[in-house]
Amino acid sequence: MTTTNFTEKLKSSRRTGSMRPVNAAADGRKMRSIIAEDSEWSLELVPLLTTLCLQHIIKHFREKPILDELTPKYKAYVLQRLPTSLPLTITANLISDESYWKRCCEGRWAVSDVSTYDNSWKRMFFERHLENIIEFFIPDATDTKTVLDVVPLCRNYVKRLKVSQLLPPIRESPRFDEDDRSDCASDTGSEGPSMDHFDFRILLDKLPNLEELNVVYGVKGCGMNFEWNLFEFTFRDCEFLAKALHSCKTLQVFRIHRSKVDDEKCCLLVSQLLDHPSLQELDFSHNHISDRGARAIGKLLNRSQLKRLVVCNNQIRGPGAQALAHALYKNITLLSLNLRLNRIGDEGGQALAQALVKNKTLVNLHLGGNNMTEPMAVALSQALVENCTLKNLNLSNNKLGVDGGKVLEEGMSHNSSLVECDIRLTDVSQDSEYSRQHAKIKHKHDPSAKV
Amino acid sequence: MLQPEPFAGEEADEPGPSVESKNQAERITARRLRIAARNETKTRQELGEDSQGKEDIQEETRKSQKEVEKSKRHMVKLQSDGLELVTNIQVAVDARESDRRTELEEECRLRREKLENEAKSSQEKFEEITRKWTDAKMKQSPLDLRDAMNSQQQLCEQILGDKNKLISELQQELKASDDHYVKDLKRQAKDIDLLIERMEEQISSLKKSYREDLQQIENSFDEERRTLLTKHRKKWGHQMKEQSEKELRNMMQGLSLLEEHEDLLQKLRVWKAEEYNTDKIRMDTEVQNLRKKLQEVKFNCHLNEEKLDYKYEVLKKREEENAILKSHLKRKIIRMQDVLNNLKSKCASQEKQLKTEEQSLRNDYTRIKQQYIDMQKKARHFAALDAERFEKLWLINEDEVKALAHRVLETDRIIHEQQLGLAWVSPPLPFMERSGPIEHKTLRTASQAAADTLHEETRGDLVEESEGLGDTASGVNRRTVKRILELLCDELGFLVESKLLKLVSHLEKNDESLIKLDAIFSAIGIESEKDVYTMAEFLMNYRQHGREQRELMEEEETTNNSDFIHHNDLLVALKEFTAQYCRPHGVQASQKSSVLGLIMRDDSEDAAHWESIANVIPESKFRLWSALDTAINKYHTVLTERAELLVETQNVQQQNTELRQLLHLYTTSKANAEPEMQPTRMRQFPM
Repeated sequence: MTTTNFTEKLKSSRRTGSMRPVNAAADGRKMRSIIAEDSEWSLELVPLLTTLCLQHIIKHFREKPILDELTPKYKAYVLQRLPTSLPLTITANLISDESYWKRCCEGRWAVSDVSTYDNSWKRMFFERHLENIIEFFIPDATDTKTVLDVVPLCRNYVKRLKVSQLLPPIRESPRFDEDDRSDCASDTGSEGPSMDHFDFRILLDKLPNLEELNVVYGVKGCGMNFEWNLFEFTFRDCEFLAKALHSCKTLQVFRIHRSKVDDEKCCLLVSQLLDHPSLQELDFSHNHISDRGARAIGKLLNRSQLKRLVVCNNQIRGPGAQALAHALYKNITLLSLNLRLNRIGDEGGQALAQALVKNKTLVNLHLGGNNMTEPMAVALSQALVENCTLKNLNLSNNKLGVDGGKVLEEGMSHNSSLVECDIRLTDVSQDSEYSRQHAKIKHKHDPSAKV
Repeated sequence: MLQPEPFAGEEADEPGPSVESKNQAERITARRLRIAARNETKTRQELGEDSQGKEDIQEETRKSQKEVEKSKRHMVKLQSDGLELVTNIQVAVDARESDRRTELEEECRLRREKLENEAKSSQEKFEEITRKWTDAKMKQSPLDLRDAMNSQQQLCEQILGDKNKLISELQQELKASDDHYVKDLKRQAKDIDLLIERMEEQISSLKKSYREDLQQIENSFDEERRTLLTKHRKKWGHQMKEQSEKELRNMMQGLSLLEEHEDLLQKLRVWKAEEYNTDKIRMDTEVQNLRKKLQEVKFNCHLNEEKLDYKYEVLKKREEENAILKSHLKRKIIRMQDVLNNLKSKCASQEKQLKTEEQSLRNDYTRIKQQYIDMQKKARHFAALDAERFEKLWLINEDEVKALAHRVLETDRIIHEQQLGLAWVSPPLPFMERSGPIEHKTLRTASQAAADTLHEETRGDLVEESEGLGDTASGVNRRTVKRILELLCDELGFLVESKLLKLVSHLEKNDESLIKLDAIFSAIGIESEKDVYTMAEFLMNYRQHGREQRELMEEEETTNNSDFIHHNDLLVALKEFTAQYCRPHGVQASQKSSVLGLIMRDDSEDAAHWESIANVIPESKFRLWSALDTAINKYHTVLTERAELLVETQNVQQQNTELRQLLHLYTTSKANAEPEMQPTRMRQFPM
């Protein structure tokens, strides 16, 4: 039968107005109305023609997808019963119904929190689908077509990519276990001809809605097959990534964690991100950036619209912090700066404190675990008197000492904007602890306060 | 490293789903949220409307709100405390990490120093060895060389030992750090466990406290509701009671009213039954009557029905006929209409034609009129010419005739005197003196006559008398005529047109009356003088006749006036006059109109005139002349014979003279002696 016949039949049955909802027929007692002797008999046993037609449509959806021609009632019926195993080439741009994609997601992944995907199951499905493909992409072994085939299907729906691992190419590894991907690396440890990972250049410029990109150049769950070169971020990788980032103009958030980004690579990435039209958040946490990289980032600060910068757990020292502080003097976009677990010391801390006197935008500042001492506390207390935008300040794990705590307390008493100040494990006295609590209470009426 | 950094959870608040979003799901959620909000507000409004004691409820809600706020505060505190508790671990780990790093740095520094020292010492030793190599080269004896070699070996071994020692140290350090790493890992795992534990604890405690708070809030709401309910129930009971009392009262009232009404009803029933009986009887009789009437009416009705049926049939038939007739007529009408249309069109065409014809005729008419006028003019011209010519011809003929008459008379005289020898007396010749055509007196018109009559007044009385005598032939005195005319002028003013009167009013009296008379005459139909006189005569006669009648009543005192006709009689008289004389006038008028205004000559006397001229010689003279003619003719013949004879004699005498002459010639002439041509001579010239 042709499909047009189906739709016509559907329409005709609708015209008679006798279409009974299928769910209503579930109660057998209600439906058993004709043959009293046969307790098994039910109208439900005789499916309506429309139901048959719809079932046929569902059955042959792969060959002949009919959906938009149906009336909303039948459309819902079909969507409810479509198998999730249909190829994406059919469903991707045809079906926009959330319930179908919800079934797809739930069928594929055990845990799925849709709230982080703007409550869109479809977006979640496609993002995770693409992430999956990239994460299991093995350079030289996997054909790039597998990625490129998916792109036209999901390009309109992908907004965020969280790539939690990137596999290195296989070298002299005859056995390849799908379950344990770390086998791809051998124990030889010698330098191979190429250790490059997935090339992002082929992907990023094809995704028009991409806003967020999280990348880790490393392998998840390697277990006892650990090898250093599984966690190698080569220079060419960095080059490709930088070019890809440059081509993606919609990107707002870029995160690269645990990828051994050193000064050179940081400079390379930053040089391609200069004057990026939309970038707002940059996260280099858990890398090996030191003073030169920090200087490059400081340059980037005033040549972009960065609002949030995270460089926690790096190796930035005094000069790097000074470079960042110098950038903060003039910056008017940055709202949040995280320098946790660096080694900026008093030198860098004082420079940052002096920058805070001039800066009028920074709201959050995290300087935890930076090996700072009393002189920095003095400089910061002076800065706090002048500054009136900073709301959150984290100074934990710095050896400020009792005197530093007192100085800081004094500085805070003149400040009117600070909502929270974390001074745990800083060797300050109990009085200062108390005054910190007091500062919290003082600014509690502020509705935007985050305690 | 294992702990996510605190900022990770602090993502900026995402804007709520908007209806204008590109994502469909987002739109749907946005709409759902909106609907929910709307429902909430609605229910809230309903609740607010339902509640009566608003102030109380406000207070109550305030209480519950307070509860909510309190719990919120509590929860916030709990959360912050929990967060602090949880982050404490992270901070501790951070501290440890930073400590480790400082240690690591320190160790690194020491190691580097050590390595540097080691490198320096080994370098020194190496230099010493190399130096010794040169010394060894200097040595000649193998013993010395062996000693040197041994010492060198010792030194090298020393270096190697140092290096090995260092390596082992470093390896130990490495091992230690490995152990440390494993320990760290373990500790971190423990930390993470702790963290998870704390988080779970937090979650459970938060859950518990949330639940408690919820319970409390619900309790407070329940309380509120309960108090409200009791209050409302109380109110409701009170109102119910009131209502039932009121209804009871109403019922009692209703019962008493019912009894009253029942009594009244009974009374009314009895009364009505009586009334009903009487009415029934009356109605029965009426019914009887009416039935009878009904019978009659039915009979009539039946009759009428039949009649009407019959009539109806007849009418139907007629109608059918009428219909046929109608259709017939209709057809006729249509036909007629057609004909009418045809005729109309024809008529129109004819009319057009006629118009054109009329136009042409009119043109012809004007043309002919013009021609006629021209012809008239010509005729007049020719008439004048004819008259002139006639006069000339007349004069010529007359002169000729006169000449002929003269000659005849002369001849007669000659005959008388010469032939007969008698004395000739000329006959009387009156026409000889006259010349030109005979003229006649023309008839004078009535107006002229009237004018004359009127002008006579100016002339002397003598003339009047003499003429009056002369005119007796017409039978009427001139004076009387004048009087009559004046009378006419006065009495018959109404015949004159008012315009004319106006024009005339400033003229002299005579002229005025003259013009007036002219108009009057034209009105009555009097044209010639003769008519005027006949009228005058008639009037006189009438007067006399009237007078005879009047004489009976009055004497002949009014002699002066007797000549006059009375004004009153004038009109009657004139009427009679016109009745008698209007016809001949009409004939005359027609004759006159044919003359075309040309003067007609009377040629009745012309023949006699010419006859008298022709008859100048009387019959007796003619007889005389004829006899004379015959005698003269005889004499003439005799004379002619004599003349002939005379001529004969003359001829004979002439012949005689001629012959004599000839004879004389012959005799005298010489030529005869010799002939002119000799026959001999003729023979001499043959060669």
